[in-house]
Amino acid sequence: MINYFKIIKPSISTKKIEKLRDYVPFIAIGLVILMFWMISGDRFMSVRNWTFIAQQTPVLMLLAFAQLIIITTGSIDISVGSSLAFSAFLGAIGMLWFGDVGLIVGVLAGGLVGMVNGIIISLLKIPSFVATLAMLIIVRALVIIASDGTSIYITSGTGASGGNITSVTAPWLLSMGKFPAIFIIAAVVAFSMWIFYEKTVFGQQLRAVGGNEKVLRLVGINLTLFKIKVFAAAGLMVGLAACVNLARAGAATPQAGMMMELDAIAAVALGGTPLTGGYGSVVKTIIGALTLTIVRNGLTIAGVPPSWSQVALGVLLISAIAISLNRNKIDVVK
Amino acid sequence: MEKRQTVPILTVENVSKNFGGVQALRDGSFELNRGEVVAIVGGNGAGKSTLAKIISGAYVPDSGCICINGDEVKRSDHSVSYMQTCGIEVVYQDLALVPNMTAPYNLFLGRIPTKWGIFVNEKKMREKTREVLAQLNVTTVQDLSQPISSMSGGQQQSIAIGRAIAWGSEIVILDEPTAALGPNETSEVEKLIEDVRDKHGTSFILISHNLDQVRRLADRIIVTHHGITSQEFRRDEITSDRLVKAITLGE
Repeated sequence: MINYFKIIKPSISTKKIEKLRDYVPFIAIGLVILMFWMISGDRFMSVRNWTFIAQQTPVLMLLAFAQLIIITTGSIDISVGSSLAFSAFLGAIGMLWFGDVGLIVGVLAGGLVGMVNGIIISLLKIPSFVATLAMLIIVRALVIIASDGTSIYITSGTGASGGNITSVTAPWLLSMGKFPAIFIIAAVVAFSMWIFYEKTVFGQQLRAVGGNEKVLRLVGINLTLFKIKVFAAAGLMVGLAACVNLARAGAATPQAGMMMELDAIAAVALGGTPLTGGYGSVVKTIIGALTLTIVRNGLTIAGVPPSWSQVALGVLLISAIAISLNRNKIDVVK
Repeated sequence: MEKRQTVPILTVENVSKNFGGVQALRDGSFELNRGEVVAIVGGNGAGKSTLAKIISGAYVPDSGCICINGDEVKRSDHSVSYMQTCGIEVVYQDLALVPNMTAPYNLFLGRIPTKWGIFVNEKKMREKTREVLAQLNVTTVQDLSQPISSMSGGQQQSIAIGRAIAWGSEIVILDEPTAALGPNETSEVEKLIEDVRDKHGTSFILISHNLDQVRRLADRIIVTHHGITSQEFRRDEITSDRLVKAITLGE
């Protein structure tokens, strides 16, 4: 009898290609570095420039971690940029009121925004995109109302600050935003994030929710509570990013973090994480954030006008995802 | 026989359920003994799924009572998690598994063992998974680091059944367990069900459209018709024709 339904087994070469997909983020960052090195030479490949990149990346990386937590469950959070401004502002206020430890208020503020996101999504059953879009607008407006459009500055204490400028003297915080310290903080957070994401029950449940949410309800997991926790955890990460950003920028401005939500999502996507949920990698997300920073930096050094460098970033994003995701495995693209 | 003397593991008495104006189930009654496979058959909308969902705890019945080992389940307790603590598990037709995760994670879904409270105890999971698979005589699942989406439907359903029995459950509700599977995988799963029954003395409630399968597996067959558990047959006293007649005409 002829077997009409003979299964065509993939040959070794296609399997190798499958394996290769896993390394696309690493290959991409290598190519990007090589390209800018060839274009700009030592102006790009200098200690000074790499120190700059090392200072630039951590904030984006932390926001991308927050996004990764949520995207793994199959949801999305586009309020992280506004939440960053809100957290930085409350962190600065906290320092005005309670001294140095008041910075914790900033981290908690991020957690609070995340928790509200989670409550709206899981209790009111509003899709995460819409809920966090609303929060993006509301939280940004709250920052502008509360700050009255003014900024709170972090000073090193040496310069005279006067007039009606609100400022906090915290030289330690400013030094946290500079190269060795910020790099160490980023490394510690990244390692903790890796442990959390790969080794804890919570981290594995993120993937399970992204894979098949209904099943988790059947086995008796309280998904309402779980989702609130997920968004709160991501919010705490945003709060942490806000504090690092406060140290970097030296001021809590009402405009802080604008459009950063898109950068964070782009970094996660560049790391080869499908936005449909269920999968993700901390290491590749770091690579994604780094790639984004390097491309922006490299294009600026090469003298490409900012608008055109945005175009280049968009093209890079599409091509990276087109290559890294195996879309044969995805039934429906929405 | 000594089985007869003991209390049935599950007794369902005059259970009814309405959805709006529609009476999905009227005075459903049956008993399930230890180590027995009872099949519930019936046409679409005959109430068999409603009955299964009441037993699994997903629906609370409007009236009637359910006894497990002779103890009545209070209406206020009636929930999926309570029924799970009573040892009732469900295997669904659409393979209620998480496709992107490995066999151990699927087996331990909702019960992941921990180290120091928050970390996953992967070693324990792997050991227990191998143990369960060995108990089930499932030899085809070797690589425990692969996501189960790379396995065949039969292997996936084995893991789903493994999950149902791995935690010492006494009653497993099989809701169309082979509807999504091919013929080879179906016989694989059927063999697995018989093995588990013989080895562990687990009781099964089988809901199936496949009458041949029902006659192969079930000790007793309960026919639902228009929301009534109209008839009950023993395996040896029923013919195919008789069964079809009972399902379609209720006689």
